[in-house]
Amino acid sequence: MISTAPAIADIPLPIDQWTQPFWSAACRCELVMPCCADCGTWRWPPGPFCPHCLSQAIAWQLAGPARLYSFAIVHRPGPTPADSPQAIVPGLVEFPEAGGMRIAAAIIDSKIDRIAIGSALSVRWVPKDETNVPMFVVV
Amino acid sequence: MLRLKATPFDQIKWQPGRRTLNKPAAAIAGSGATPYYFRGKSAPQTQYELIGKAVIAACVDAGIAVTEIDGLVSYAHGFEASNICEMLGIPELSYAATVTGQGGGSAGVLDLAASAIETGRARHVVCIGCSQQLGGHRYGTSLASLATTSTGVFSLFAGLVGPGPSMALLARRHMHKYGTRREAFAEVVMASRDYAQTMPEAIRKNPVTLDDYFAAPMLADPLCRLDFCLETDAALAFVVTGSDRARDLRHKPVYIEGAAHGGGGDWGRGFLSLNMPDDVFASAGSERVARQVYARAGVSAKDIDVALIYDHFSPLVVMQLEDYGFCPRGEGGRFVESGAIRPGGAIPVNPHGGHLSECYAIGMTHIREAVEQLRGTAVNQVPDARLALVTGGPAPVPVSAAILGN
Repeated sequence: MISTAPAIADIPLPIDQWTQPFWSAACRCELVMPCCADCGTWRWPPGPFCPHCLSQAIAWQLAGPARLYSFAIVHRPGPTPADSPQAIVPGLVEFPEAGGMRIAAAIIDSKIDRIAIGSALSVRWVPKDETNVPMFVVV
Repeated sequence: MLRLKATPFDQIKWQPGRRTLNKPAAAIAGSGATPYYFRGKSAPQTQYELIGKAVIAACVDAGIAVTEIDGLVSYAHGFEASNICEMLGIPELSYAATVTGQGGGSAGVLDLAASAIETGRARHVVCIGCSQQLGGHRYGTSLASLATTSTGVFSLFAGLVGPGPSMALLARRHMHKYGTRREAFAEVVMASRDYAQTMPEAIRKNPVTLDDYFAAPMLADPLCRLDFCLETDAALAFVVTGSDRARDLRHKPVYIEGAAHGGGGDWGRGFLSLNMPDDVFASAGSERVARQVYARAGVSAKDIDVALIYDHFSPLVVMQLEDYGFCPRGEGGRFVESGAIRPGGAIPVNPHGGHLSECYAIGMTHIREAVEQLRGTAVNQVPDARLALVTGGPAPVPVSAAILGN
């Protein structure tokens, strides 16, 4: 069984000034994460203060390689009764070179029995509104 | 940037609660509840009608008039003190407060109520909790509305539509890190169901075998349907008053030995943010509140006779048993598999069947069961129960806990 992407077309994408740089980079298919420009502490989600030094200055940097920290497998019926059941895999994707920060993202197009904690992942950008949503496949 | 230095957590001296005649200053004198309904079946009663019935029942149980209520405490779940005052003709409030957050705050209502009593701000504080799921509203898909924010939207794009898949992330990590087996989650469910068989109002009473457990559909692997709690409607209320006053009322007082609501910033929003440090991730985020509540009550895990553990998802019971010191970190699975939570075990857990089998009223049925255990009137009475632990959460901070005694 191959994991399926969750349907995201109907989910609104609210963007504020702190998440906007993420989505601007995603538009160029670049995965960036916020790092404090003063003390170098990574953080997620993006927000107005560094929780370590309270600075508001952010240096957005490429997140680097991704690996799977944890995941769930959610079985769903197919879109129509004629379709086979689907497996949606919500994952928690860890970025060791970005302070070990984690983003919740779907694990797609991957054989279910090959998905494991620690799996190396590569990003797949899924178009959404004016930008792209990161999903991941097991390498 | 300038930052003041905080006292290290280990060095904080938590204040014990104020005591009179070597008894805690505040006690639960009354306990009231509506019937327990399957999700939506409480209609056409409104949420406030359910609350009103629970408050009246709690006052009758205590032996006070509703007009004697001068304090109202709840935790964030969508109802207001003002409406309750109007509805029940409460003449004057001198204390009204709400624990922020979600299901984590349930036991925290006792912390607020005890604070009001200890400081003389009120004489009869009623603590209220209510769950009602009407129309399309279901807790099982509650994250869909929570997550349409600029930061929460990532969870939705990942397919984390309800709390179940998020808890599955924690459970799988616990299994990976400590070798915890699904058999441990099954044992939490089976013990709950065995206890529920004798509970008159339990929604699910049929026993569950290990085979039944492994045959149940996987809703969010590694969690199956039986790992999820019920979705039910109910309101519960408790009258908290001064211990001296409680001794003049109808029942033996159930003393609030200690209560706490708070938690670690590193847990934060917990399963909503999912960036807890690795050692905290595979936990229930309750370790700090555990230390606070034990210090306030002046006891430790080994003194607790019965534990009412918030059981929205069975793996989180295993993790709370570790957080609250009933077994070492990572040993929770083996601990429950040894029979520890059964009658006569190291720590009987949820003798009322809990959220998994009896009723889900966001933690409040656990307070009711603690009261009955300590009055000695529980259906599945733990012999000679003197101290009961009640927990709230795991959920975003504040999580909460209370230790009650007789």
